[in-house]
Amino acid sequence: MGVSESEGRQSYLVFACGNSWYAVPAESAAEVVTFPELTRVPGAPAYLLGVFAHRGEVIPVVDMGLLVGTGSQSTRRAVLVRLSRGSLALTASTVAGVSLVSGSLEPLGASGVHVHLRGPAKGAQRDVAVIDPDGLFDHLSQGA
Amino acid sequence: MHGLRVSGTLLCHAGTHRIAFPAVDVAVIDAPGLHAGRSRSARQAFGEPAGASRVLLAPSGETVGVDTLEIDAEVHRVLPASPVVKWMGGGSLLGFIFVRGVLWPLVRLVEFEHFLAGAPREAA
Repeated sequence: MGVSESEGRQSYLVFACGNSWYAVPAESAAEVVTFPELTRVPGAPAYLLGVFAHRGEVIPVVDMGLLVGTGSQSTRRAVLVRLSRGSLALTASTVAGVSLVSGSLEPLGASGVHVHLRGPAKGAQRDVAVIDPDGLFDHLSQGA
Repeated sequence: MHGLRVSGTLLCHAGTHRIAFPAVDVAVIDAPGLHAGRSRSARQAFGEPAGASRVLLAPSGETVGVDTLEIDAEVHRVLPASPVVKWMGGGSLLGFIFVRGVLWPLVRLVEFEHFLAGAPREAA
């Protein structure tokens, strides 16, 4: 699913990674999980913390703070994002819950991962960056 | 390998990290001294200083050093790698096997050595 301005009042799961708040469409956020000790992937960049097995699937765990460059906070909780091409766990130091998000939802940058983050937006009474999950998945699959 | 299964693996550690290779990829297990200065260390793929206590030699001559290894003759199902991680390790990642309650990344030895050869060598 892409994120556009017309979708600016849909429900999103709002969560924090480090000092930054993010929102993913509620329909993509399958669950909040506590992940076990991770298996590192050889050659993985720092933002890819590792993988874990969950219901027969190997789930990659991405630290959004390290990916975006805003810093990291150690946690074993993550928002599990389920897409048609696979799943992705995004670390979440705090989960605020499902909330409406409003804003212009323009890309926060012209290149890199910021293309797949939208804003400025507000959700759960906070400034949030809205994640386009499909775009993020494609970006990560091409070697972020 | 047969489809999504692998029969015979080398279960290894690179530093504290798990890594497995299909046994068919390995022709010889040597001491590091026999390949001094030539073999790559699997630890490099985890951002650690190079080092090894055993060297795996591919039939085509590529060598990769590991810290521990164990030969596992069991048949294991290969869990597919997500597209998010499949490109890592230079595309050497075949998937993951679940052995003794934990996941092991399963990589092709030759492609993995080529990946290490292109990575910063540090203290290799």
